Amino acid sequence: MRRLGRFILALLRELADESAYERHLAAHGRAHSGAEWRRFSEERQRARYAMPRCC
Amino acid sequence: MKLLTGLFWSAVAGAAALCLGAIALHRGEHINSIWLVLAAACSYATGYRFYSKFLAARVLALDDRRATPAERLRDGQDFEPTNKWILLGHHFAAIAGPGPLVGPVLAAQFGYLPGTLWIIIGAVLGGAAQDFVILFASMRRDGKSLGQMAREEIGKVAGFTALITVLLIMIIMLAVMALVVVNALKGSPWGAFTIAATIPIALFMGLYLRYWRPAKVLECSAIGCLLVMAAIFAGRSVAQSAALAPLFTLGAMALAIAIIVYGFLASALPVWLLLAPRGYLSTFVKLGVILMLGVGILFVRPQLQLPAFTRFVDGTGPIFAGKIFPFCFITIACGSISGFHALIASGTTPKMIAKEGHARPIGYGSMLLESFVAIMAMIAACVLQPGVYFAVNSPPVTVGATPAAAVATISSWGFPVTVTDMTNLARDVGEQTLFNRTGGAPSLALGMAHIFARGGGGRAVIGFWYHFAIMFEALFILTILDTGTRVGRFMLQDFLGHAWKPLGRTSWMPGVVATSAVIVAAWGYFLIQGVRDPLGGINSLWPLYGTANQLLAAIALCVATTILLKMHGAKYLWITCAPLAWLVAVTFTAAWQKIFSPVPAIGFLAQADRLEASLRAGAAADPAATQTLIFNARLDAVLCGVFLALVTTILLDSMRVWVGILRGTRDARVCEAPYVLSELRAEEL
Repeated sequence: MRRLGRFILALLRELADESAYERHLAAHGRAHSGAEWRRFSEERQRARYAMPRCC
Repeated sequence: MKLLTGLFWSAVAGAAALCLGAIALHRGEHINSIWLVLAAACSYATGYRFYSKFLAARVLALDDRRATPAERLRDGQDFEPTNKWILLGHHFAAIAGPGPLVGPVLAAQFGYLPGTLWIIIGAVLGGAAQDFVILFASMRRDGKSLGQMAREEIGKVAGFTALITVLLIMIIMLAVMALVVVNALKGSPWGAFTIAATIPIALFMGLYLRYWRPAKVLECSAIGCLLVMAAIFAGRSVAQSAALAPLFTLGAMALAIAIIVYGFLASALPVWLLLAPRGYLSTFVKLGVILMLGVGILFVRPQLQLPAFTRFVDGTGPIFAGKIFPFCFITIACGSISGFHALIASGTTPKMIAKEGHARPIGYGSMLLESFVAIMAMIAACVLQPGVYFAVNSPPVTVGATPAAAVATISSWGFPVTVTDMTNLARDVGEQTLFNRTGGAPSLALGMAHIFARGGGGRAVIGFWYHFAIMFEALFILTILDTGTRVGRFMLQDFLGHAWKPLGRTSWMPGVVATSAVIVAAWGYFLIQGVRDPLGGINSLWPLYGTANQLLAAIALCVATTILLKMHGAKYLWITCAPLAWLVAVTFTAAWQKIFSPVPAIGFLAQADRLEASLRAGAAADPAATQTLIFNARLDAVLCGVFLALVTTILLDSMRVWVGILRGTRDARVCEAPYVLSELRAEEL
């Protein structure tokens, strides 16, 4: 059950881009801040919303 | 151990055959939905265990020692090795749209059997194989898109034609999805209020994430979900309020205009303000509701009320006209095979696969899950009394404009229903009427509400569940609408940028506004056409969309066939060629009938001729409106013809390449990224 819970949380964090943001901070050696999140999410959303969504 | 495994899989395959046989041969008494669930689950398990393993090992030769683009090009953002189950969930969330929910509901007019068989067989042998091969191909090419692969593997003509086709198909898809929402919300103050409330909720979430609690997406989405639930509760009070109800009681045309304005604003506004928070909300609600529906069906195990076959297999269906072949297959669309999946499978996902072996559960497995969603939608539609199902889904021109006329017509088909039944049902779910709610969304919501209410609460809560289901459907259809409009704008800007550079700049506001307006006007035109259509719009637009979607799948299969041919010669050609041949037969027949059938309910040209004759005879009530209907029918015929011409171009171009490869006169080298040994450790995932 604990493994399932961990998996569900990890999936939700991936879908919510929270894991991607953590990876972004680690990859660039930066600390979390409002400005950093805005920079990250703008770049990510720009790429995401250039792709068609499935019907 | 090997013997036990063999016995186990023999039992699963036997159970699949038994359940499929049971639902195919069962006649007379009602069948329990659990037979459909078991038939699907056992068929998927067998297909996954044997067919996908064969594809992975023999055909695609997946190699876990070979570094994937996620490892080689790792950048912490787009390219990132990701746990396979998380990526499966991510990919499934991306491919699961309203198509597999609405398509089976509409196809249920033939009865539960034709649609169910096609959903299961089509997914195992066609859709899942297509997704898997395209995902594999994109992964071996550093995450290239379908258009790029078509250009590199087939040629420039195929690549350019694929891009144009995608843009046109998106316009039709957006129009038909918007029409589904319009038909679900017209005359429904409860539904309209709930959906309207999601816009300020999304704006609040956008501000919350950007300024108040940056990066707290899960926390923000949880608040958003609670606010949406509160909006559903508040919707009942709004619908009962003498002052507020008229404000939210909108006709089809008013709703269509509101959705067009929304689409334009969403395309032009910054992504963080509306699209992104709405996207997060929609994803979580979608996954949650699909899970709830699965659990609900297993818990309640409802009986199917619709028969295996209805009388409408003869092509005289009230929801859409046409026989099982080809119209059942194009109506189901994404539930068994979808061209749009190829776009997703050649987008984000291949850039995140850690090991090549993961492509099997992600590519093949996700499509099986999507197909299971379609089975659940079929069950939800079929648990309704057939009379209720047809009363909700039939346009007034087919069954009669008054409730008394509609129930008399539907009862005469052998599906008894009374005005009292429909009035009581409408009152239970908090609607003024449930007649003439074409589009599939309301009947799906009724079926879901029926299942959820039987899980606990009964009639007292059916209104809440109905509007919960409507909110869920409308929320993620609108998410597709706003995203699709934006993507269409980018594609158009990309094209126009070649003619005049400023138009290609996504930061130049006049260009953004102009191209957004063009895209919105394009799908908005077809939406208005659907709203004005006396047959309800779904009769003409859904087959057009279904044909287009399956034609896109044909393009993906052309690319996949070319790649398999280059890898193995003719040996494994049947894997993609068999579904391709089937799709070509289905879509070309459907498109031909939609253009040239002499039956006005099917053929666009026959429909235009009939209207013209009535105009000439002076029998048309509104000559100007009839002129518009004639123009629209001819426009639909032309569009159908354009789809056919575009796909024929790609097909012929592909065949030219295939013949060249088989004769040895053409370079058969695949355009894969170089082999690099993987150094990724298991603990890194």
